[in-house]
Amino acid sequence: MAQSSPSLTAKTAGVPPAPPRRKRAGSRAERLAPLVLVAPAVLVIVVMRLWPLLLGINFSFTGDGDRDGTAVGFDNYLTLFDDPLFRTALRNVGLLVLLLPVAVAIPGLLATFIYLKVPGHRVYRGVYFFPAVLSPVIVGAIFTLLLAYDGPLNTLLGGVGIGPVDWLGDPDVAIFAVVGVHVWATFGMALVVFLAGFATLDPSLLDAAEVDGASLSQTIRHVIVPGLSRTIQFVLVTTMIGMLTSMFGLLYVMTSGGPEGSTYLPEYYIWTQQGQMNRPALASAASTALFLIMLVVGLAQIGVLRRATGKEDR
Amino acid sequence: MTGARPTRWVVAVPMAALALATIYPLVFTANVAMKTRREYTLDRFSPTGSLRWDNIVKAWTSVGMSRYFLNSVVVVACSVALLLLLGSMAGFALGRLRFRGSSALFLGILAALFVPFQVIMVPLARIMADTGLVDTYPGLVLAYVAQFLPFTIFLLASYYSTVPPEIIDAARIDGNTTYGVYRRIMLPIGAPALVSVGVLNALFCWNDVLISLLVMPSAEHRTLMVGVTSLRGQYSDDIPTFASGVLIAAIPVLVVYLFLQRQIADGVTAGSTKG
Repeated sequence: MAQSSPSLTAKTAGVPPAPPRRKRAGSRAERLAPLVLVAPAVLVIVVMRLWPLLLGINFSFTGDGDRDGTAVGFDNYLTLFDDPLFRTALRNVGLLVLLLPVAVAIPGLLATFIYLKVPGHRVYRGVYFFPAVLSPVIVGAIFTLLLAYDGPLNTLLGGVGIGPVDWLGDPDVAIFAVVGVHVWATFGMALVVFLAGFATLDPSLLDAAEVDGASLSQTIRHVIVPGLSRTIQFVLVTTMIGMLTSMFGLLYVMTSGGPEGSTYLPEYYIWTQQGQMNRPALASAASTALFLIMLVVGLAQIGVLRRATGKEDR
Repeated sequence: MTGARPTRWVVAVPMAALALATIYPLVFTANVAMKTRREYTLDRFSPTGSLRWDNIVKAWTSVGMSRYFLNSVVVVACSVALLLLLGSMAGFALGRLRFRGSSALFLGILAALFVPFQVIMVPLARIMADTGLVDTYPGLVLAYVAQFLPFTIFLLASYYSTVPPEIIDAARIDGNTTYGVYRRIMLPIGAPALVSVGVLNALFCWNDVLISLLVMPSAEHRTLMVGVTSLRGQYSDDIPTFASGVLIAAIPVLVVYLFLQRQIADGVTAGSTKG
C-alpha cells in the first residue's frame, strides 16, 4: 500500500516528479481542512449561544423602557429580588432542590429492580421510558384533563371517599401537581441512564453480596451506590437541569404560573418579563440569576456527592 | 437477588401498576378523542363503542392542525439535516483530526452545552429581531441548530474518536483528501450515530415550545406544539376536539418511539457513560 502511493501521486500529477509548488498548495488546503470543517459549527455556536450569554449579562445592567440602553448598575437585580413573583420562583427552586433526591431515587430503585430481574423486567424499560419522549406540551395538555376539578382523578378519588382536590387551582397544591407530572414524564429518562450504568457494574460484586447473604438495602448501600457513583452524579445534575429548564411547557399549558403566581419558576418569569411585560433588561437579570443558580447547585451537588461516596472521579 | 422470590413479587405489583399509570393517560386521551361532547360529559372513562373519527378530522381540518403539522415537519426536517451536516463535519474534525487548538475548541463547545436557552433567550430574541429572522422559517431553523448543535457535536465527536486511525490512513493513501475522507468514509461509517443523534434532535425540535413561541409569534407560522397550546383556550368547552389535537401531535412521536426506541436510548445514555 505505502509503496504504491508515490506512483499514484505521480500518475495523477501527470509530470513524473510531482511539482513542489502544487504539492505545497495542496498541503495547505489539507492543513486548513479541519478548520474549514469546524468553522460553520463554531460560527453558529459563538454567534447564537456564547455571544448572547455575554450580551445578556451586559444587558442586565441596563434599563427598560425610558432608560433603555443606559447603565443602571444593579437596579434590575434589586427590582428582581423585590418582586414577589420572582421570590416565589426562587422558593419553588428551593422546593425542587428538596424534591431532587426523590426524583432521583425513584428511577434509581426501579432500575435496580429491573436489573435484578423482577417479573416483567423486559417490558418495564420500554414502557417507563415512553413519556420521556413526549413533549411537555402534550403531557401538560393530557394532565389538565386528568387533573381538572371535575376530571377523572377526582372522580376516582371520590369513589373511595376522598374529597375533590383542586389540583391546579389551589395555590398550596398546584406546584406539587406540576412537579409530580414532571417527575411522571421524565423518570424514564433517568431510568434508562441508570440501566446503562448498571451494564458497566461488575456482576461478580453482586454475586459476592448474595453469597454473603446481604439484604437488598445492604446491597444497594454497599455495592450499587459506590459502583454507580458517576452515574448517580450524572443523573443528579441532569435531573436538576431538567427541573430548572424544561418545565416551561408544563407551566405554560397547565397553570400559566398561577394560581396567584404560586407555580412560577425562573424560566417562566423570564418568559413573562420578556414576552408579556416587555421588560427585557429585567428578564436578562433573571436569566443571569438562573445561570448562577444552576452553576451553584450543580457544583454543590458534585461536591456533596464526592464526599458522600468517598470517591474521586476522573 | 436476595434469594427471596416473594420479595420479587411484592415489588412487581407496584411496578406493573406504575407501568399502567404510564400508559393510561394517553389511552384516556385517545378514548376521549373518539367521544362526542355529550358522551364525554356523561361518562369520561368507559371505552367508546365505536371508533369515531369526526373529532380528529375536525381538529385536522377546520381547527388548523394540518397547517401546524406541516410547519413542524418542514422546520424539523431542515433543522435535523443542518444539525447532522454541521455536527458531523465538526465532530469528525474535533474527534478524529487533531489540530492546534482542537481541544480548546471542544471545551468551548462543551461550555455552550451548559448554557440553557432560558439564559440566552432575551438577547437572542433581540439578535433575531435586528437581523429580520423573527417569524421566518430560517430563523427558527437556525435557533434550533444553535440550541442542539453542541450536544450533536459532543456525541458525534466521541463516536468518531473511536474510529480506528488506520482506516483514515488507508483512505488517504488511496488519494483521498480530508474532505474525501469525510464524505466517503466518515459519513457512511457514522451512520448508526447519525441515526441516533438525528432521531433525538428530531424529537427535541418537534417537542419544543419555548423557542418556537419566541421566534415564531404569528398564528400562521405556529408549530404543532404551539398550536396545541392555543387549542386549550379555544376549545376549553369542546374537550374531545382538544384531545384530538393532542393525539395528532403525539402520534408521530409514538410511532417513532415504537420503531427507534433503542436508538433514542443510545443517544440519551451516550453522555453518561463518557462522563
